[in-house]
Amino acid sequence: MPTRRNFLRGAGAATALVGVETVGSPLTAAALAGDETLRQPYARRVDARDKVRGAVQYGADHVPARLTHAVPVVATIGKGRVVEFDTTAAEAVPGVRLVLTRIPPGELRSAPFIMAGGFAVQGYQPMTSDRVAYRGQMIALVVADTLVAATEAAALVTARYETEPFAVTLDADGTETLLQATVIPRFPDTVMGDADAAYATSPVKLDATYDGPPQHAMPIELLASTVEWQGENLIVRESTQNANAVRHGVAYELGISADRVEVISPSAGGAFGQKNSFQMHLGPLALAARRVGRPVKLVVPRTQTFHAGSFRPASRQRIRLGADRSGRMLAAIHEIDAQTSRHDLFPMQYTELTGRMYDIPDFRGRHQLVRTDAQTPGYMRAPFEHIAAFALESSVDELAYKLGKDPVALRLANDAPTTDPISGHPFTSRHLAECLRRGADRFGWVDRRPGVGSMRAKDGTLIGWGVAVGAYKAATAPATAVLRAESLGRRRCRVTITVDGHEMGQGIRTAITNLITGNLGVATEDVVVVVGDTRGVPPQHSTAGSWGTATALPAIDAAMGKLREQLGLRPSGPIDLPAAMSGRAPVELQARTKAPGQPDDVWDRVAAGGAAGAGPEYPAFTSMSYIAHFVEVRIEPRIRRIRVPRVVSVADCGRVASPVTAVSQVRGGVIWGIGATLREGGEVDPRFGGFLSASLEDYALPVNADIGDIDVSLIDKPDPLLNSVGVKSLGEVSMVGVAPAIANAVWHATGRRVRRLPIRIEDVI
Amino acid sequence: MDNALPAASAPAAVDLAFTVNGSPAKVAVDPRESLLDVLRERLDLTGTKKGCDHGQCGACTVHVDGRRVVSCLTAAVQVDGRAVTTIEGVEGPDGELHPLQQAFIDHDALQCGYCTPGQVMSGLACMAEGHTRDDAEIREYMSGNLCRCGAYAGIVAAIRETARRTGH
Repeated sequence: MPTRRNFLRGAGAATALVGVETVGSPLTAAALAGDETLRQPYARRVDARDKVRGAVQYGADHVPARLTHAVPVVATIGKGRVVEFDTTAAEAVPGVRLVLTRIPPGELRSAPFIMAGGFAVQGYQPMTSDRVAYRGQMIALVVADTLVAATEAAALVTARYETEPFAVTLDADGTETLLQATVIPRFPDTVMGDADAAYATSPVKLDATYDGPPQHAMPIELLASTVEWQGENLIVRESTQNANAVRHGVAYELGISADRVEVISPSAGGAFGQKNSFQMHLGPLALAARRVGRPVKLVVPRTQTFHAGSFRPASRQRIRLGADRSGRMLAAIHEIDAQTSRHDLFPMQYTELTGRMYDIPDFRGRHQLVRTDAQTPGYMRAPFEHIAAFALESSVDELAYKLGKDPVALRLANDAPTTDPISGHPFTSRHLAECLRRGADRFGWVDRRPGVGSMRAKDGTLIGWGVAVGAYKAATAPATAVLRAESLGRRRCRVTITVDGHEMGQGIRTAITNLITGNLGVATEDVVVVVGDTRGVPPQHSTAGSWGTATALPAIDAAMGKLREQLGLRPSGPIDLPAAMSGRAPVELQARTKAPGQPDDVWDRVAAGGAAGAGPEYPAFTSMSYIAHFVEVRIEPRIRRIRVPRVVSVADCGRVASPVTAVSQVRGGVIWGIGATLREGGEVDPRFGGFLSASLEDYALPVNADIGDIDVSLIDKPDPLLNSVGVKSLGEVSMVGVAPAIANAVWHATGRRVRRLPIRIEDVI
Repeated sequence: MDNALPAASAPAAVDLAFTVNGSPAKVAVDPRESLLDVLRERLDLTGTKKGCDHGQCGACTVHVDGRRVVSCLTAAVQVDGRAVTTIEGVEGPDGELHPLQQAFIDHDALQCGYCTPGQVMSGLACMAEGHTRDDAEIREYMSGNLCRCGAYAGIVAAIRETARRTGH
């Protein structure tokens, strides 16, 4: 029998941490983003070569010697408690080493919820009590020598339950509705002026309610961990956006020092918010690994991820919009009820978008949390903004129709170009009007016939053109960058950067590489980027809220400034680092940056594993990214299937740090918007609890054939205030506004104003 | 043989002989084991990914005797005597990329990279099947491979270009 390596062709095929290579012709921002001010050569995606070879290591790709496999057992009731387990049959399966059911007190404690000063995706650790808080909750964990044995044994574990009534929908009996401003005072309501009075006297009024379904992030990489005790130290391989919280969360649960935990997560196979905290399988898994004395791998089955992972909560939004007869918006009242769990208060921020999207002088927002019997919801891509924009931008479209105004012109007339209506401070930059104008031009909006149902193909296909805009905070978090420069001869210098950041596919390695090559004059292949690894100095604070680039790049920029100073090089402008380093000993230094206005004790919070993101409001300004989407829908004349053949999206994300990956990220965000509008609805069953649509067959994601042409354009104007690099945010704003643009196009095609997502065939029959 | 099943395991292990990426492989498997798990956990070929284990996402796509299959729904015993090709076997003997792999890079046909091995294996099969007459056909025949990051446009472009260049 050949050795394992014989199956791997080519030298070094299995080394995969960082592959840096320039492939294809050099690109310029000008070529990709239509801006003439930047002419730096940019790298293509620097880890693409390893990715097309399958050589990148994700959380479950590590196969240590003596590996065992874990499979969870999940609750089959909607709520209650486990009265008794029968594990006899499971334990009799050959190869089974452990059937872990209720964990005795003192062995594991529940890590606190990340939004309550903790680390965890929820503040309730299954298996530390007899509780079943929701259907699908893990109640036991089986470890065996093989995956088949563990799977067989897990199916043989039986539990006797005592059931309790449960509520899984917003309207169910037994829910509990809480005013967020009261129960989470640090998330108060957004109030400007007297919106109720201004609305009451508005000449034009709109009042409508919008329903958003629960939705699931469903990255293609499953939630998975491989854990291994090395003496008293725990090594965790798990794809995450937040190695720091994983490290501190598991240490907290086990009652050990975080210094004894290392988390290795060089790349995540998609995350989208689902992987932004400590996950609830990890504590029991680490405990199981200690008991069996072997490494254990757990790959959470796809069906279980619908209950193991966080989700976008179900929401109901009532929005009232008042305007004068010219279309000038005078008042808005935005009231939201959205789902939280029994055990946590998931803070909502829907009105951060609606209060700032336009120059509306009188505004009142109100958030209510509705406790349901589910796992705690979480930050799925554009968690609030996507569905808030659906409500607001549908209403704005309705206003345009009511007044006979063009939807683009109406939006331009209500733009708030310079001042944040909520804080009264200036926006750092806001090029929304340019997004709208450029988008209209690229889409050919001028050819749109405004009448509902006025654009039809010869075969009777209904055609609708819709527009909507979106925004998302330009957030920032603290970051530490460690820079090492090492001469490789007179013409080459290797620069290794270790920084707070995680690569989930958004392209942070490429953005970092571009910054370094542009600043230091080193070659792309000589830049090594280490992220998602707690074995270095940077604690690996979370990469979420679209703050990754605007967090890591300024710290690296500061480190490069120090390097220039230390080497006696000019502080800015082109330099030749290879020449300057030639003959010198390697240089290593570090720099750290935090968000404007963050206090110095924020470093203590990060060191303790806590979350420390800031924005969009900073002491002297507000910073947001913007986007405009133009959508064509086609509705087939007989079966009324809705297709989206064409989208034009124009984004203002500040300076574009990585043109190749940025354009791809926007395209991906648009596809998320298409999925969220036409496909993705989590189905719950009030009779049984839990999510019914718990597979990729029942929870339909967009497939290749669903996607047509998506034209992406970036404004690419550096933000002058937020940070030294001029970058804002991009990953999430790209999705915001897609849903209403599609819904508005459906209205244009059919005259149906659909206020519930996803929009289905029966809505347009 | 640290890859062998424990002796006490039931049902009885089945001895398999097949080729993986041109090299012979002999493995004793549990008849319930999927080809995917054997590749990943026994043969250390972790380039093939598990995204659902139900044949719904395509991340585990490999070739068996030149045809694409989802390895999660292929019992390992089914490949006895057959030739399996995984993503690790796509590049040339000296590590040069297949033109389709290079086209994936050129068109940025990936983000997180997790579905990418399956997309490449499906893309190769899509070309071999002749399902590349136009973009609509490529999209249709690549719709068994989910990409949650949304790199679909790049995937179609990469396949279109490679098919044209290599005469498919």
